Amino acid sequence: MLKYIFHVRKCNFIIYFILFYTGGYCVLNSILASPRVSVLEQALSASSLRQQVISNNISNVNTPGFKKSEVVFEDLLQNAIGDGKLQMTKTNSQHLPLKQEGIPKPVVNVIDKTSFRTDGSNVDIDIEMANLAKNNIYYNAVVQQLSSYFSGIKSAIKEGRS
Amino acid sequence: MGMFGAIDAAASGLTAERLRMDVISNNIANVNTTRTAEGGAYRRQMVVFAPRENEAAFAQVLSEKLDTGNGVKVVGITKDNSPTHRVYDPAHPDANQDGYVEMPNVNVVTEMVDMITATRAYEANVTTINSAKSMALKALEIGK
Repeated sequence: MLKYIFHVRKCNFIIYFILFYTGGYCVLNSILASPRVSVLEQALSASSLRQQVISNNISNVNTPGFKKSEVVFEDLLQNAIGDGKLQMTKTNSQHLPLKQEGIPKPVVNVIDKTSFRTDGSNVDIDIEMANLAKNNIYYNAVVQQLSSYFSGIKSAIKEGRS
Repeated sequence: MGMFGAIDAAASGLTAERLRMDVISNNIANVNTTRTAEGGAYRRQMVVFAPRENEAAFAQVLSEKLDTGNGVKVVGITKDNSPTHRVYDPAHPDANQDGYVEMPNVNVVTEMVDMITATRAYEANVTTINSAKSMALKALEIGK
């Protein structure tokens, strides 16, 4: 009996092994590189970039004539996704897409048209601190989304057992 | 800028504000100094800040439009050339023939206000560092 169980276990292992190196690898790849993960990845990198930009703005709060920068990402993502409108179905891989596909990359813009103080600087420390707090919460939210995605996959791999 | 770019930029802000605080402190300490090595009364000093440029031009080209800036740097410490004020004190060893003493152009109220600005800016930079740190730690929780 014991020998039999051992045999089955051994067979399972071999099957998993084969699965992993043939189809399994592709499945795993598609799970880890799903559109949801890539959007969240890009959001995380945009948030990280925004933290650097805000940090630079705050460190230059007393620099005369300094012009602040900002990171644009959410609006670009919104444009790329579309305003919740129906997407057209593609029945052929050569059909042209409605909008440009792919996840947009965050862009840094320098705001040099405004002035906040008489020395020419346009850094408002209150706005920067508020943006800092917002960005921190946003980053945590994205991390939580990513974590829940991966814990879902983990749960599926372990067949629901903890 | 890598993962710790935000912390580096805020740290440059800390350094700059601390130097500013040192200079303000020096100004207040010399509020009654009538003799200097150059002659005449002490003159108020000021720090000059400028945005720190990216050191690596190649990295800038690589990152294309993602130039976040590199924080702040102190360009130099300059002297305030505004006129010194004269106080009538004939007993003072540095008094001129008319009994007037040339006193430094340091205004304690201005220095105090500058000190508060420097303190608050320093605190803002500390908040940024703490925020960036908590974000970096949060990222370690992905997949836990």
